[in-house]
Formats: sequence, C-alpha cells, structure tokens
Amino acid sequence: MSVRPITTIKTVVAGIEGAGAGIKVFTLADPDRWALPPFKPGAHIDLHLPNGLVRTYSLCNEPADNSRYVIAVKREADGRGGSRALHDEVGIGDVIGVSLPRGGLEPGADIARHVFVAGGIGVTPFLSMARHLLQIGNADFVLHLIVREEVPLAAHLAPLMEAGRVVVHRTSCAGRPDLASLVGEVGVQTMVACCGPEGMTEEFEGVTAAWPAANVHIERFVAPPPVIDPDAKPFVLSLARTGTEIPVRAGQTMLAALQEGGIDVSTSCCGGICGACKVGWIEGKPVHRDRVLSPYERERFLMICVAGSDADRLVLDL
Amino acid sequence: MLDEIGAGSADSTARLGWTGLVRFLHLAPRAFLPMRAMEQLVLVAGQGIEGDRYMIGREEGYYSHKPEEGRQVTLFELETLIALKRDAGIELGPEEHRRNVTVEGVPLNHLVGRRFWLGETLLEATRLSIPCRHIEEITGKAIFDPLINRSGLNCRILQGGIVRVGDTVRNAA
Repeated sequence: MSVRPITTIKTVVAGIEGAGAGIKVFTLADPDRWALPPFKPGAHIDLHLPNGLVRTYSLCNEPADNSRYVIAVKREADGRGGSRALHDEVGIGDVIGVSLPRGGLEPGADIARHVFVAGGIGVTPFLSMARHLLQIGNADFVLHLIVREEVPLAAHLAPLMEAGRVVVHRTSCAGRPDLASLVGEVGVQTMVACCGPEGMTEEFEGVTAAWPAANVHIERFVAPPPVIDPDAKPFVLSLARTGTEIPVRAGQTMLAALQEGGIDVSTSCCGGICGACKVGWIEGKPVHRDRVLSPYERERFLMICVAGSDADRLVLDL
Repeated sequence: MLDEIGAGSADSTARLGWTGLVRFLHLAPRAFLPMRAMEQLVLVAGQGIEGDRYMIGREEGYYSHKPEEGRQVTLFELETLIALKRDAGIELGPEEHRRNVTVEGVPLNHLVGRRFWLGETLLEATRLSIPCRHIEEITGKAIFDPLINRSGLNCRILQGGIVRVGDTVRNAA
C-alpha cells in the first residue's frame, strides 16, 4: 500500500523518436492504455522526472487524442537539466508521473482568425492548436515559424505545411522578420499568439500592446513569476514539538508548505469542511476560513488546508 | 425524542419504502484518470470493485494513502446532477462525479448505517461521501460548495456479485 498520497498521473514512456535539430519526441501513455485526462489545444503538463526535477512541456498532440501525451524536447546542454535528463536517462517503459494538463486555448466562437508566431522549439504549443483548428475545419489560421536554418519537428509539421498553413522564416538567410508585419492590424476577431525565446516574446508583447488582452496569448519557455494576491503575505510556521520552522509563501496553503517540508499531515477534502487536517495552534493570529470548527474550537484549533495567518509567525502543535 | 418516535429505524425505513434504479456504472484504474462507463461492475465482498482504483489491495486512488474499509463502492444520486444544473447552472455528467454507481430514486443520505440491495449485491452504507477540492481540479468546475451534504455514499460490500445498468436498488431491512 502506498503511504504517500498519489499526486501525479502515472504514465509510461511508450515511444521516443528523434525529430532532428536535437529534438526528441516522447509519447507518454497510461500503463493499460486507459484514456488520460483531457486537455485543451496548447495545454502543458509538468513531468516529474526520475531524478526529482519537475519540468513543464507543451502537449503536441491533438486534444481529440487523449490516449497519450506527446511532448517534444530539445536537448539544451546548458539548460537547467530537465532536457538532458529526458534525452540521456529516460527510456521506453520508464514510469513518469505527470500533472493534470493546464492552460491552453479553447478556440472562441467570435475568433475568426488565428496568427501563431513561433521561435524554433517554441512551435510545440501551436502544433496541437493548429492541428485542432485543421481538424475542426477552421480555415483561417497561419503559423509563422522563425528558425535559424533547420525546421524542428518537420514530420509533425508536414500535414500543416501541406495544407499551406506554415510560413517558415529562416533567419540565416533573411534575418529576423518584422513581428509587427506578421501580426498585422488589430482585429477583435483575431487571436495572436507567440512562443519562443525571451527576446522574441518581449518584442511580441511590444507589438501587440494595443491589442485587447483577451486576443493575445504569450507562452514563455521559462514561466513568469506567479501572480500573487496583493493581500497575501508570507509567514513562518513554527512547529512546537519538533522545533522545525516551515516558511509559507504568499498565497500558499499551510498544508502545501508542510507537505513541501516533508511533514506528514492528514488531509482529505482540502476545502475546510471535513475536519481531517485539524491541528492545534499555540501562538499567533490564525485566519480560519473553514466551515467546520466552532468559535470555541477555533480558539485552539485550525484547519491547515484553508487557514492563513495574520501575523509573521504561527506556532502549531506539531 | 427521535428514538421515541422510531425515526430512522429499520422498521420505519422498510415501511415507508423506496425502490430505485442503477442508471450508470463507472470505474477508473488509477488516480486522476477519466472514469469509464461500464455496462456492469463486478463487486467483491469485503474488497471493492474489480479493476477500480480503490479495490482493497490495489490502492491506486487519490485517497488510497488513507485506507478505509468502508469505501469499497461509492454511490451518487442522479437527482443531484439534475439539481446542480437546475440550482447552480452547472452541467456535471455521471462520469465526472467520480463515484462508481449513479442511482435514481434512492435516498442515499437516509441510508447511513443501513443495508440495501444493489442488484444482486448487498451493501452496507458506512458514511456520507464528502466533496473534495480534488474533484474541482479534475473537472475544472466549481462544484465543491454545491456538493456539500449531497456528495454520495460510501459502502462496504457484504455480498458480492455483478451489478448491471438497470438493476433495481431496494431496502434490505
């Protein structure tokens, strides 16, 4: 029996395929080929790699095909280690835990035209979006692919190329294209999206500054810092029985902070109603937010799944 | 006072009576995976559902780290799905609530501590299910609050067998 909670979807590596330009395409599937949780076009997942790293990759396959998750990974020798681990250490049959898919774009009913601008391996989120649009018969979209020389994932792009949906811009012969001209005029029925290196996404942000925010989508290789509720403040949990100090980031739950700190705590509903994670507090100013403790109980206990702190330090009976 | 009037006793429940139907059957082999609609489920006494994540010994569910002998099969009311749409405007399918059996015409909240027949299988209701934030994460729908106090029923299997869509659900008192 597993003692730790199951926090990821169990997948096995069902296929690894070289795709040129230092890219490998990994196919992840359920061990029994059960359907995987559904996803939107352009969604991404976190991979919990065997060496402990957690890395985020765009799903490249079509949302209609949720029997597998397909990701394309370029080996970055000087990167942070995720792509090296996948390229060098992961083999067919290896088990990899992944997160539920997040993000992505649902083609809006009022969007008539899509313009995608991708830099190199930044094409990955647009593969599933473009294929999805092709599949549902959306006629008006274009994928501008900016590469130095070699086109990444050429085999995967082939159906889109054959459909005349991809414009390749080779910077080795023509220099960098003008993003403003690729994006064109502001159109309320047009969705523009960009994924690529930081310089490109910054430039894209500039040329689309006048666009309605809902019509612009930017994917970054390195996630921007999370948006934090301005009222949320970090605090420290002090565990009276062990003397351990656990920092809680602004907006983070005590439960998540304790679990990150390797503290085993009982939880169930995670919404402040079941009472499973009731913990005694000794000193501080808890903000309760639960719907299970009475005012009298709140003088001594809190629910760590929803409670916060109004002071810098909160002492728990743990 | 409740004892004095015989409220909720086996006798009164049997006398007042109800009969329901099995409308949908679902299982999933591992945490997070979509539930799959089945025409029948094999219930194993004292263990769980063949192929389901919470079968005792399999332990591949989101809550398997908190083993619970009384969580061998879970039920949910079709009427709750109707109420969610009517009262909260939320369309939730029978594959999304993540319980195994969707029944119609069965007052699940009244059955805690009681025995009843689910087709040819005999169940004993152990406790009400509690909604969890996990289901909002999976479905992307804000259903935690609307499901408080009507999130289904946990049961142990006293007598196993095959449960089919369309089977009758009836009191065993």
